Amino acid sequence: MTTVLDIFLRLACWLLLAPLLPGIINKVKAWVAGRRGPPVLQLYYDLTRLWKKSVVMSALASPAFIMLPAVAWVAVIGAALLVPLGPAGASLSFRGDALLMLYLLALVRFCTAWAAMETGSAFEGMGAVREVSYAVLAEAAMIAALLSMSVHTGTISLVTMLAPSADAGSVLLAAGLFIVLLAENCRVPFDDPNTHLEVTMIHEVMVLDHSGPPLAVILHGASVKLLLFVILLVQAVLPIGAHSPQTAAALLLAGVLAVTIAVGLVESLMARLALRRVPLLLTTAFLLCLFALLSAWRAVVS
Amino acid sequence: MKGPLLLLSALAFATGIVVGAKLSRTWLALTLMGTITALSAALCVLLGAVDWEWRSVFLIGGEPLHFRLDGVSALFLVLLSVIGGAGAFYSRGYWSDHNHLASAPRGRVWWSALLLSMGLVLLSSNGMHFLFAWELFTISAYFLVTLDRKRPKVCAAGWLYLVASHAGTVCLFAFFALLATRTGSWDLGPMREYSGLASLFWLVLVGFGVKAGVFPLHIWVPATYATAPSHVAALVSGVEMGVYGIVRFSGWLPVPESAGWVVIGLGTLGALLGIAFALAQNDFKRLLAYCSVENVGVIMIGLGFALLARSYNDAAWGRLALAGALLHIWNHGAFKALLFFGAGAVSHATGTQEMSRLGGLWHKMPWTAGIFALGSVAVSGLPPLNGFVSEWMIYLGLFDVSLSKSPSAWAAILAAIILATAGALSLASFVKAGTLIFLGAPRTKSAVYARECGIWMRGPMLVLAVVCLGLGLAPIWFWPAIARAVGTWNPAWTTSVPPAPLRTLGLVHFGLAVLLVAAGILLWRKVRANGLRRSLTWDCGYVAPTAKMQYTSGSFGGLAAGWFTWIMKPVLKLRRPRGHFPVESIRLERTPETVLERVFTPLGGIVMQLSMAARRLQHGRLQFYILYVVAGLVALGVLVLMGGKP
Repeated sequence: MTTVLDIFLRLACWLLLAPLLPGIINKVKAWVAGRRGPPVLQLYYDLTRLWKKSVVMSALASPAFIMLPAVAWVAVIGAALLVPLGPAGASLSFRGDALLMLYLLALVRFCTAWAAMETGSAFEGMGAVREVSYAVLAEAAMIAALLSMSVHTGTISLVTMLAPSADAGSVLLAAGLFIVLLAENCRVPFDDPNTHLEVTMIHEVMVLDHSGPPLAVILHGASVKLLLFVILLVQAVLPIGAHSPQTAAALLLAGVLAVTIAVGLVESLMARLALRRVPLLLTTAFLLCLFALLSAWRAVVS
Repeated sequence: MKGPLLLLSALAFATGIVVGAKLSRTWLALTLMGTITALSAALCVLLGAVDWEWRSVFLIGGEPLHFRLDGVSALFLVLLSVIGGAGAFYSRGYWSDHNHLASAPRGRVWWSALLLSMGLVLLSSNGMHFLFAWELFTISAYFLVTLDRKRPKVCAAGWLYLVASHAGTVCLFAFFALLATRTGSWDLGPMREYSGLASLFWLVLVGFGVKAGVFPLHIWVPATYATAPSHVAALVSGVEMGVYGIVRFSGWLPVPESAGWVVIGLGTLGALLGIAFALAQNDFKRLLAYCSVENVGVIMIGLGFALLARSYNDAAWGRLALAGALLHIWNHGAFKALLFFGAGAVSHATGTQEMSRLGGLWHKMPWTAGIFALGSVAVSGLPPLNGFVSEWMIYLGLFDVSLSKSPSAWAAILAAIILATAGALSLASFVKAGTLIFLGAPRTKSAVYARECGIWMRGPMLVLAVVCLGLGLAPIWFWPAIARAVGTWNPAWTTSVPPAPLRTLGLVHFGLAVLLVAAGILLWRKVRANGLRRSLTWDCGYVAPTAKMQYTSGSFGGLAAGWFTWIMKPVLKLRRPRGHFPVESIRLERTPETVLERVFTPLGGIVMQLSMAARRLQHGRLQFYILYVVAGLVALGVLVLMGGKP
């Protein structure tokens, strides 16, 4: 009984808190630009409005066009439930759950790209291609990051893996994971969520044809994915486990807030990269994670 | 019990060879009976504890018959029976007497012969009979590959297959002959204590590697699978006999120290480059063929680490890697056969294999589209299907190695990163294949007039889809079989406890699958309740989009395949628009068979030139021939006089 309650609490936490993040990022951007900006809760309003709307669907698309966003949403929530929440741990933890999380995120990518191709639009084709191609490098960086955490702690389970090292490796890992976070969540400098130029978009262009509840599900799923990466990054870098539950929870929250603000600042202060430079930056992220791995390995062997 | 079952199965296939041409229904019943009996015998061995062995005094080729069915061969026999039976049903719709008056009866006969010979390869425990069966297998596969021999492309591919296979068979002849001279008998079996046999492993690796399509030796794979009838491609690529050979003899024989490293190297190379080539293909069956090269690479990675573990006496991660590799053999067989069946249904309905000529087929072929999508998820190694389970086990093995502080940790780190990259590339390849074929608007007329395949083709696809689902959702049910094969490969690793939390993973997969389906249906109902309107695809307000404006195969693969131009060397034909009123411009890009065209064809050319040079010795002038004989005699005489042994 308690496990069921525990899972529901966690689920509520993920589902309800996630849409805050884009709101905070937008507020930071507005603040830097000297504007008032949309309210922090804007995404909640958008989601409720979208949920009630009717849907316009491309004449070419199959019913999977509607169903795949839901499938992707379940996959991303599943991945989120595997990620431990500071002192609360994870609701489900077993050997190798880190890989399941990674591949659930890949399933999300599969569904989004597949649904994008449903419409037969060249723009959405572009988005799908970029998403699945850049993911090749992001995936290499992610596995290197997971390996470095695993080598550092000697386990393959997320709950125990997310204990940061106290050396240079931790800094490298943080930098690498932050770049992957920006890429996987389609933030500047990889993608601009606010752009209106379809030719240069990645994620946003894939969902051009979605409307109503499916769009709400996509937006919500994207915010959960962002929160997932932020929490992963914070726990990989901040020594949360060493503190009492209350301090740990506070630290986790502060960390999440700090990373979110950092994303907002990057978005305000940087221009997006030319598309041909994206692989370069992702390769940098991969190398950072790889060096973190090497440093972890050296520390263990010596 | 197993003996009579296997005999019955062999009799059924043998009768199938005789009556197959005339009586198609009887043939189907016989094939079904043969596969079911073989399957039950294999399952008896896998789930029981004892191997089946049978020796006879009856001599063939001067050697007594010796058959053996143990964990490893039973693992492959299960796969052979499932795909063989499914393929027989499929061929009835796909290669029917109605459409292929001449070749369909021939196809049935050779199908029975192929199943029989593959079964004999799996059972033979005598080197000479193994070679007989192997040759019969190669030849019956050749006749099936070239069923449609009116097309020059098919003949060329069949020829390439035959040449490559026999180049591999030469190594196998050498291997079995050397084995027989060193052990003193043609009998096969576990002989790990003869350390002098270790160097023979290289012959095994090359000889069976050609057949398995291990990366630089894969030259025959793309052309053959692309032109062969789909059920044949499904069987030959699904039941990798080359992989069987490598697994079999690496388990029975001692291997050199460096074997594990070489196998890992070949595996990583094949996994990465195989899938990169797959992404660049325009022909979907060629894409599937290159994907086989990748999957063989994945299996080799697992097997390589198992070899390494065996030489280090470190059981824990070796067992995981081996179990992952063996399970991946099953998984690959199931989803690759499924995808080849789906591809065959598409080419059967549209008459083309070019992805850029298709599109929008989900409308006409919803079953095939759905099943192909399921296969795509499985082959991309995504949860909750079977591809993920085996890749996950291999990953766990690799992670364990990287924690082990041994030199092999470096190899494991590299292999894990390559495996992740290959996984992401295979996702890209199959999003490309599935979406270009089935989604969007039809790009040509042939896609417009497509029709869903009949029940004969749909049924086998559904069966294989269920197998993929079963292996993904309840992997723990299949664990005893895998554990048995692991124990056969290396008796020291016998265990009944899964080395990974398979039960938990299965439960998670099951829950996930239920939720995924439920969420999809709920959202669909919600959308229907809110109101659903169909309209034009949004193209920045453009109101007259055409099918030609959609993304094509080249544009989809271009971005990621562009990172591999250093090895692919794509051939580009470009005519830019010229003048103030340009009328035409062309951009054609083709990825050649780089390894074949740049390495093996020049090598073949050199061999031909040397042979031509040697041919000058044979000119028909008798005086010179007598001179050769005299010179030879003198040379021999000198050799004897010098004291050397003749």
